[in-house]
Amino acid sequence: MNRPVGPILRMSDDVDAIVAAIIEDNPDKDITVTDRGAYTRVSGPGELRLTRASIARQLGRDYEMRELQGLMSAFAGRIDMTSEEVRWHLGSPATISSSKSTLEEPS
Amino acid sequence: MARMPREQWYDIARDLDWELSYVDHEAVFPEWHSGQGKIPREAWARWDESYKISYPEYVATQREKEAGAYSVKAALQKSKVFDQLDEGWKSVAKEHFGATAAIEDMAVYAELRMARFGLSPAWRNMAMFGALDETRHAQIGLQFAHELVGKDPQYDWANKAYQTNEWGIIAARATFDGMMMTPNVVDTAVQLPFTFETGFSNVQFVALAADALESGDINFANMISSIQTDEARHAQQGGPTLEILMEHDPRRAQWIVDKTFWTSARLFAILTGPGMDYYTPVEMRKQSYKEFMQEWIAEQFLDQIRDYGLKRPWYWDEFIAGLDTWHHSLHLGVWYWRPTVWWKPQGGVSPEEREWLNEKYPNWEKQFGWMWDVIIENINSGRMEQTLPETLPWLCSLCHLPVGTAASPNNDKYPVRSYPLKHNGHTYHFCSRTCRQIWWEDKDTLHDPTVIERLLAGEIQPPTVEGILAWMGLTPDVMGDDAYGYRWAKAYVPAAAAAS
Repeated sequence: MNRPVGPILRMSDDVDAIVAAIIEDNPDKDITVTDRGAYTRVSGPGELRLTRASIARQLGRDYEMRELQGLMSAFAGRIDMTSEEVRWHLGSPATISSSKSTLEEPS
Repeated sequence: MARMPREQWYDIARDLDWELSYVDHEAVFPEWHSGQGKIPREAWARWDESYKISYPEYVATQREKEAGAYSVKAALQKSKVFDQLDEGWKSVAKEHFGATAAIEDMAVYAELRMARFGLSPAWRNMAMFGALDETRHAQIGLQFAHELVGKDPQYDWANKAYQTNEWGIIAARATFDGMMMTPNVVDTAVQLPFTFETGFSNVQFVALAADALESGDINFANMISSIQTDEARHAQQGGPTLEILMEHDPRRAQWIVDKTFWTSARLFAILTGPGMDYYTPVEMRKQSYKEFMQEWIAEQFLDQIRDYGLKRPWYWDEFIAGLDTWHHSLHLGVWYWRPTVWWKPQGGVSPEEREWLNEKYPNWEKQFGWMWDVIIENINSGRMEQTLPETLPWLCSLCHLPVGTAASPNNDKYPVRSYPLKHNGHTYHFCSRTCRQIWWEDKDTLHDPTVIERLLAGEIQPPTVEGILAWMGLTPDVMGDDAYGYRWAKAYVPAAAAAS
């Protein structure tokens, strides 16, 4: 996948509902879910969003967005978080090259 | 009463700052702590963390995390789960506790330095949460290990390791001093939250949790992955700091990331690599160390570097090649010098384990197999003294790991050799060109004599293996030995000999 972003969620009862909510909130995205037992990596190209409303709907209960912090062990990309929505995204696109050691090589 | 959403008040509240009139700015934010360098003071006004949290939200969430971690511990305390854990796996946990619990305490001070000397009020606010997080991590690491001390004194090294001169701890201390304690806070933010916490600590605290859960250590898996949820938040101090630094001094930004990445990679080759590829029972391994490093570092972290406009470090190809060798070399060394560590290294080279190693690392047999054959032959012939050390290996003056472990035998590109440097009449030795280069640039802040240099200077008396072990704080009840009592080697005894 080109430039994947998204959360890495630790083991929890809520993981399946949150993955379903991410899929619901990003209908046009090709989303990959990798389950490694203790963690689940959710990846989408370039940008993913997740709303409080979708999580609440999937869980069948009210949900505070801060609760997500208890199970998000890491994430790929940058993050923006409000009371209603989380967005994982990238900054400016760039091409990668190697840094050159311009330092003086000790002899 | 309806509460105002956080985003409507947060930016104003956390930007509380004032103009100094009674003292100079330099007196409050001295350059050697604040690290402004080429960055104009007004640039810090746009520092903005994207992962926001209010104090009431922080308290509520942390309370839930703590309840989750300690309730699992309480439930498992009454079970026989710990007694049934594999001895090799237990060593993964022991190494982790000793190498990280007190480092978390050091991270409290790194966060507090950013909370005091950071040049943006938003940054200082977030660093306070970071200091509270790291306090939690030090406490939870010490607490979870403490409960096991009665069953096995090696767990006591969660508390003890950092107070000793054990060689692996000296390597860790040198790396983290260079990341947390000696740099100014701008450099610390790029080193610790950006490079280490969004890169390497994911491998130790999230990836390793996958092996822990598979190995049945639910308590450990739950604890480390809970810790990392805090890191994911406070690590966001790195991004906004790096963005500002990239705008005004990209060369400095690139250098800080490059050197921190390298020293972290060297340390992880001993901290994480052997645990994943040798100590964890083979049927419980979710992925190899190389595969986890590719997932979390070579892919995810490289994407992150690119996203901030940084270039790939100049030594990238050597780092990638090292994923096939460094930790295998270090495992061989740790196992051979096993009395010098506070855990029991699992040899991990039974025929089944060897098959797995050769599948994951196609050059393993050529580079390491023949040396293990000599060890196996000595074990099975009862020549145990030949499997134990009589002196110490030469250590790298930067990473403090044995010279030769950034390489492997029968490796044309990265042969086993020293990379020396003469400076002020003294010859220093390094494991690699990159360690030598970093030391040369940062020698004023990073230089710490190695155990070997101390030995030759007469600081360790008597200069024997026993004297060295005592100097390192290792007592007979905690000195490492083979986790399986060498039974993995018995499978190589020919059937006829075994029957006789």
